[in-house]
Amino acid sequence: MKPPALRVAAALMLFGLTGALLTACDGRPSEDAELNLDDKMVGAMEEYGVGDAFTATEALEFTTMFSDSPTYPYDSDWAFYQKLQEMTNVSLDTTVIPASDYAQKRSLLISSGNSPLIIPKTYPGEENPFISSGAILPISDYVEYMPNYEEKLEKWELDEEVDALRQENGKYYVLPGLHEELWPDYSIAVRTDIYEENGIALPETWDEFADSLEQLKTIYPDVTPYSDRFKGNSVLNFGAGTFGTYGGWGYGDGLTYNADSDDFAYTAASDEYKTMVEYFHDLVERGLMDPESFTQDDDSAIQKFVTGDSFAIGANSQTIVSNRATMTETLGADNFSIAKIQVPKGPAGDVIGGSRLENGLMLSSAAAKSENFVALLQFIDWLYYSDEGQEFAKWGIEGETFTKAADGTRTLATDVTFNGLNPAGTQDLRNVYGFSGGNFAYGGTTDLLRSTMLPEEVEWQIAMESREQAKVEPAIPYSEIEREQVTLLSTPLKDYVDQNTLRFILGQRDLSEYDTFISELEGKGATTYVDLANATYSK
Amino acid sequence: MKVSRSYKTFTVVNVVVLLVIVFVTLYPFINIIAQSFSSESFIRSGVVNLFPRGFNVDTYRLILADDTFWINYRNTVTYTVVGTAISMVLTTTFAYALAKKRLKGRGFFIGIAVFTMFFNGGLIPNYVLISSMGLTNTIWAIVLPNALNIFNLLIMKSFFENMPDELEEAASIDGLNTYGILWRIVLPLSKAVLATMILFYAVANWNSWFQAFLYLDKQELYPVTMYLRNMIAGATTGSAAGAVADADSTQIASNIKSVTMVLTVLPILLIYPFVQKYFVSGVMLGSVKQ
Repeated sequence: MKPPALRVAAALMLFGLTGALLTACDGRPSEDAELNLDDKMVGAMEEYGVGDAFTATEALEFTTMFSDSPTYPYDSDWAFYQKLQEMTNVSLDTTVIPASDYAQKRSLLISSGNSPLIIPKTYPGEENPFISSGAILPISDYVEYMPNYEEKLEKWELDEEVDALRQENGKYYVLPGLHEELWPDYSIAVRTDIYEENGIALPETWDEFADSLEQLKTIYPDVTPYSDRFKGNSVLNFGAGTFGTYGGWGYGDGLTYNADSDDFAYTAASDEYKTMVEYFHDLVERGLMDPESFTQDDDSAIQKFVTGDSFAIGANSQTIVSNRATMTETLGADNFSIAKIQVPKGPAGDVIGGSRLENGLMLSSAAAKSENFVALLQFIDWLYYSDEGQEFAKWGIEGETFTKAADGTRTLATDVTFNGLNPAGTQDLRNVYGFSGGNFAYGGTTDLLRSTMLPEEVEWQIAMESREQAKVEPAIPYSEIEREQVTLLSTPLKDYVDQNTLRFILGQRDLSEYDTFISELEGKGATTYVDLANATYSK
Repeated sequence: MKVSRSYKTFTVVNVVVLLVIVFVTLYPFINIIAQSFSSESFIRSGVVNLFPRGFNVDTYRLILADDTFWINYRNTVTYTVVGTAISMVLTTTFAYALAKKRLKGRGFFIGIAVFTMFFNGGLIPNYVLISSMGLTNTIWAIVLPNALNIFNLLIMKSFFENMPDELEEAASIDGLNTYGILWRIVLPLSKAVLATMILFYAVANWNSWFQAFLYLDKQELYPVTMYLRNMIAGATTGSAAGAVADADSTQIASNIKSVTMVLTVLPILLIYPFVQKYFVSGVMLGSVKQ
């Protein structure tokens, strides 16, 4: 038995040690670091602006992560890397991470301090957990070294959307992918041959959609005409935009901004959200929408569609191509035709939700300590944001993988195929050459984005151009502690909303109880959450 | 011996129930094998059940021609063999030592071992530990951290405890030292439990992907389970983050998934019947008996 004095001494030492460790761990980044980068110009170009091709003044190597998708597995011999090095004098040391667990590995590498300099495939919002540790660079401080990025921000008037990424200190930490225009993709694919056969016009509004399904049900009483995939999250996402609210994948933090009162309210408690839920409940009740849409896996939904057991399914530009290929075998090429309909219009009018920002990249804070920092910024600016860099990442090498006509139309080289274009080709642009991969090729002008789309998709995009983009919400600059609180509040709320949305739509819970549901939300902390958001916003 | 009617009825019911269970367990395997030999459109239509439809070996050819697949397969075999060997040495020696009641501090060592069954440093501390030792991107990060499975250790310890002391006493009288006793007397008599443990460790190592995922960054070091996991979970058609259309949203042929699954499971499936007799008796070996 140890003498008491010794035990007390041991306890004190333990406390002292813990205290010392905790204070030592308080490594917050110096907020207003000197932004003089004169000693970090090694390899950088003296004069670099829009229209200049970037070439490092000496051979450089940058470390980067890479999300390895099984559809185009990483290959260090890709022409993409060889040509990139030739043109820019930069080689990439790649940490290959399987796409299946990319987010987790990325988080691990950043948190343990072993992160590569360039961290791609980061969606706006995913940078939040890493900010307080100082592991990620506040890139907004350095955008003056990125002329192409700034030019596009200005030209395409993206300031409002990018401002929504700013944190409490006014800086933002992720470099988003920029789109000239909103790029809608998801909608509903229908059997246009069946619609035509029965003289039913393709619907343009949600009401017309319901009516067309009703007509189909009368003609084919054994078929439930609409069976969705993506667990219903896609239709609730793009649908919500047309109802003036947020839902499905796009539910996000569950806050809706009201411009008139300049504050936020909880999304699921709004009339617009309720109207949307009522609409889908109506579809299910009338037997027009398969109740399994919200729970079945994608394969089951696809199965019903390709065998003719349903006539409408959620789709994007790529899944429709895949469905068509399958149906050529299951139904026979001449026995069907499918197409995406325009996103049906709802009570909110001619609007669709969405953002012109897409996934982008983060930089590790270690980048700012490197003597090649400016060169790194210029390199990223050129590859990801200049017209030439974007075209290179997407199309490859002019004269080798593609040719460009005088009017700007790009055509794949004879033996090169991609995404259904030039089907006679045997060398896939992505798999074999490494171009058009999701880690490097994203965002850009509408012309560039559409250049790899099939003609039917381009038509669809043009028809959707008349839609207005729903107003972008302003940012709520949470502090680190507030952000933690917010996550603790919003996650269970969202779960509860998801559960009950499903129950209301399927009729398991009567719609008359919606007000009770709203008060249940308040009981679960919705009021606290909204108050916190509004208090932070009004600061 | 005359069997009563109720016994006959019981036997019949027993057999029927067991057959149903066998079928239910076997069906997914047969389904996957059938899918691996079928063509895409039949799979998509959901008509493939027990037998392949549109029989083809195209996907097998495709996968077997993929260099990455073979490199990863070789890695899995290496990790399994090395990992099992290391684990067996560590577990056997530790269990044998713990089985001796005269060991000083025996309770303490058993306590530490059992403690690790419930508590763990956490993901990031473990990663920092392994990377600070410079073990990332080497085989040692895969085979060392989880080398000792305490559950297996306790089973072996019980088994060794149940060995009669007289045997060892007699051997030491004849002049054998501790290592000699272990190697020449105890281990030959423990074939059943050793085989069982080898099987447990081998299967665990064969299936493990998480260690590889954590500590390896180079594609050529991955085991085949990572290859399979990426194939199944890596190509998404839509996700929480996919609210905006993504250049990467495509699908992978379901046929490729089932082919890779079959190829990954095949070696274990082939070995199991031969070690099965050990498995059944081996698990019960850790139990109390007198």
